[in-house]
Amino acid sequence: MRAQREKYYPLIPVLAGYLILFLIGREVTGMWQLMAMIAFYCALGQAFNIFLGMTGYVDFGYVAFLGVGTYGMALSISRLWRVEGLGIGIIPIGLVLAMVMAGLLSVAVGAVALRLRGAYFAIATIGVNEGFRYLIEGAKIWGGSEGIIFSGQMKKAFGKATASALSTFWADVMVFSIAVIAACITIYYMRGKIGYALTALREDEDAAKVMGINVTKYKIIAFITSSSLAGLLGASAWALKLTYVFPPDAFEIHYTVEAIIIVLLGGAGTLLGPIVGGLVYGLSKYWLAVIMPGFQLLIFAPIIIFIIVAFPEGVIGWVKRRIRGTALQNYFL
Amino acid sequence: MALLKLENVTKRFGGLVAVDGVSLEVETGEAIGIVGPNGSGKTTLYNVISGVYPADGGRVIFEGNDITPLPPYKRAPLGIGRTFQIPRPFSSASVRENVAVGAMFGTMSGKVGVDESLEIADRYIELVGLSPHRDKAAGSLTPVEKKLMEIARSLAMRPKLLLMDEALAGMHPKDIDEMVAFLKKIKEEENITIMAMVEHIMRAVVGFAERVMVMHQGRKLIEAPTAEALKDQRVIDVYLGRQLGE
Amino acid sequence: MVGQQLVGNLIQGLVLGGVYGMATMGLSLIFGVLRVINVGHGAFIMVGAFITMWMFTALGLIPIIAIPVALIVGMALGFLFFYTAVRRLINAPELASLLATFAMGMLLEEVIKIIFGTEFRGYNWVVGKLTLPITVLPMSKVYAFVGSVAIATLLYIWFNKTRAGTAVRSVVEDSEGARVCGVNVDWVYALSFAIGIGLTVVSGILLTMFIPVGINPYMGGQYTLKAFVIAVLGGLGSPYGAFFGGVIFGLIENGSYTLFALIPGVVPFALTRFLSFVILLVILLIKPTGLLGAK
Repeated sequence: MRAQREKYYPLIPVLAGYLILFLIGREVTGMWQLMAMIAFYCALGQAFNIFLGMTGYVDFGYVAFLGVGTYGMALSISRLWRVEGLGIGIIPIGLVLAMVMAGLLSVAVGAVALRLRGAYFAIATIGVNEGFRYLIEGAKIWGGSEGIIFSGQMKKAFGKATASALSTFWADVMVFSIAVIAACITIYYMRGKIGYALTALREDEDAAKVMGINVTKYKIIAFITSSSLAGLLGASAWALKLTYVFPPDAFEIHYTVEAIIIVLLGGAGTLLGPIVGGLVYGLSKYWLAVIMPGFQLLIFAPIIIFIIVAFPEGVIGWVKRRIRGTALQNYFL
Repeated sequence: MALLKLENVTKRFGGLVAVDGVSLEVETGEAIGIVGPNGSGKTTLYNVISGVYPADGGRVIFEGNDITPLPPYKRAPLGIGRTFQIPRPFSSASVRENVAVGAMFGTMSGKVGVDESLEIADRYIELVGLSPHRDKAAGSLTPVEKKLMEIARSLAMRPKLLLMDEALAGMHPKDIDEMVAFLKKIKEEENITIMAMVEHIMRAVVGFAERVMVMHQGRKLIEAPTAEALKDQRVIDVYLGRQLGE
Repeated sequence: MVGQQLVGNLIQGLVLGGVYGMATMGLSLIFGVLRVINVGHGAFIMVGAFITMWMFTALGLIPIIAIPVALIVGMALGFLFFYTAVRRLINAPELASLLATFAMGMLLEEVIKIIFGTEFRGYNWVVGKLTLPITVLPMSKVYAFVGSVAIATLLYIWFNKTRAGTAVRSVVEDSEGARVCGVNVDWVYALSFAIGIGLTVVSGILLTMFIPVGINPYMGGQYTLKAFVIAVLGGLGSPYGAFFGGVIFGLIENGSYTLFALIPGVVPFALTRFLSFVILLVILLIKPTGLLGAK
């Protein structure tokens, strides 16, 4: 089935890209932090793209899934660290819990919000994000507004050396892995029936329904996928690295905005877009912080406006349009 | 058993009754035309049949089953296909991908995979003569090409009943004749029942439809073999003096 | 005792709500006419707050004088943003306008930050108090409320009695139809956006008359969120709905705070916010056109 294998060739540049970033980080001294940051943005973009890019719906409350995932890991460590013999096994438990919690939240959100269109959906998702955060703070769940600090428990559960290695290296490896997994899922969806359904509903939801597409089902699939990945990302990039979780940070809307920028910049709904977007955004943010600290947002703001108004298809979207009809188009997703 | 049976179908929008107690039976293999001036409720009727609007009264029965409560996406796999008056392509996808959507989610939903659907799409794209444009973005086609793509897309669904909404509007008279011949051909070859809606292109109606239902202000005015219906005085009055063949 | 406190808080809530409502009118107007959701809404309120504070502390001018200044500044900003960006967003997918307006807000925040720094500022305008049977209201709050009602009324008159206002209403009904009737739809869009922004900036003044402290570049965020809830309550796209939605919101906010404060072991402030979002979601589910909306 050569045709079958060929369908997945576009994955190669993606995997190559992540591998290169990883190697640069490992081999070149001092670059690990930067590469890890870029990997985070790429992963964030890949995960978010599965929903935003493929359905065209804007989940302005996306960061809630990262936040919930962070809590999943934080709760696992802070509650289970005493259990004999569990040791490093707490980490996979934390990851699973993060994914499950994020998945559950997305089912709850989806049931409410996915009946709504466009702007109403965006507002509803903001509502869920903020509502959830204030519920945690207001009812003093999970540490309330003080959050959970579990660095001490981490050290006691895993030993100082392992805990440190987790925070400074293995968490980032997880982030890279999540990016790769998200990319694989993206192309699997894009090439499958799901991809066609999502493209159809993104372009014209009513026509899609008449063509026989159960738009709600497909929206939910994309939504849960995207959210679960976000949960994993929160569990690794936030919980394990920072060793604390704090509601105002965990539900901070600007992460959602960063995710949106990355996806848009790279090209929404494309496979390569999030990598390009993550790379460009991560590098720009880093350099701006070095050159002109305090001015990053001031510079990003008009750039965002410019992209939206003049360049809405993003880098990869633009490239794809150019190579349409050529042999290259099947490999450049 | 009639393929499609409308029993006293009614649809209201607030105080306006867009479709008022319309009853109709369509047999398999028919070519039937729905005619009527602007605002007579034809599009609304189509929307009720395809499920876009839920009926406020009456029933829609397809192949003996009451489909009135079904949402639109469940009606397509049963075999109800539809084209729109103003084509609604999935603009950023290619023509091939657009038509493949029809195959994937139509009557063969669940039975064909992505690759098979693409092959089926190729067949229908060739049938309507759009093969040179197969890989182009659907949004870049000319309006006529978009209409042809709509038809290919709905044919790829392998529908039993095809609702065509003003498929011929804006076409040159010569093209209309070709189109009518084409529709007759696919009706035979694909074994589809076609319900075609036209506002005032009588040439097409006469050429294509064996039977005609004339609507006026939401109600069925008359239902008869084409020639008869178009000579009826009430129909002529309703069209304000327009006559056959214009 | 609790009862009296509750009623007192409700009165305060009513007054604050009027100001909230007025603050949301711009948001609703912009959505109603242009179908654009101004996610940067709070930042414009913040600009109004800074104008007031600066005029008071640097120039010694009382906030009431700041109102026309704010209106002019606001409308200028509105026209500026419209012609540079918003105009192209009118028919674009929602994502575009959501993001672009957010970026506008961000831009304002950063500019103000560079000029004024991030410390919390405030001012102190003492003009006496109004003593009611149950509670005491500082006169500045009373002025804020009166101002809100006055502006809402002026807007009503403008909408319904002037030519420009009628043109705007016609565009809301049917933009193509209005165009055919000779209405300069593009100008209506620009004007509506500018007025919407102008109203929002002015509301910043009234809000500071209510809460003259905590003024900082990032204060807008919480008001954007409240505005969304209020706008949905009153019906997205209806400025009058927004005003009454605001009043209802103020009542609920203060009333629920008093009640939550009775429950041990919770943080009433956070729970009030939680409640407001629950209301938002419930309304979006049951009656998205808002309690008072009909479209």
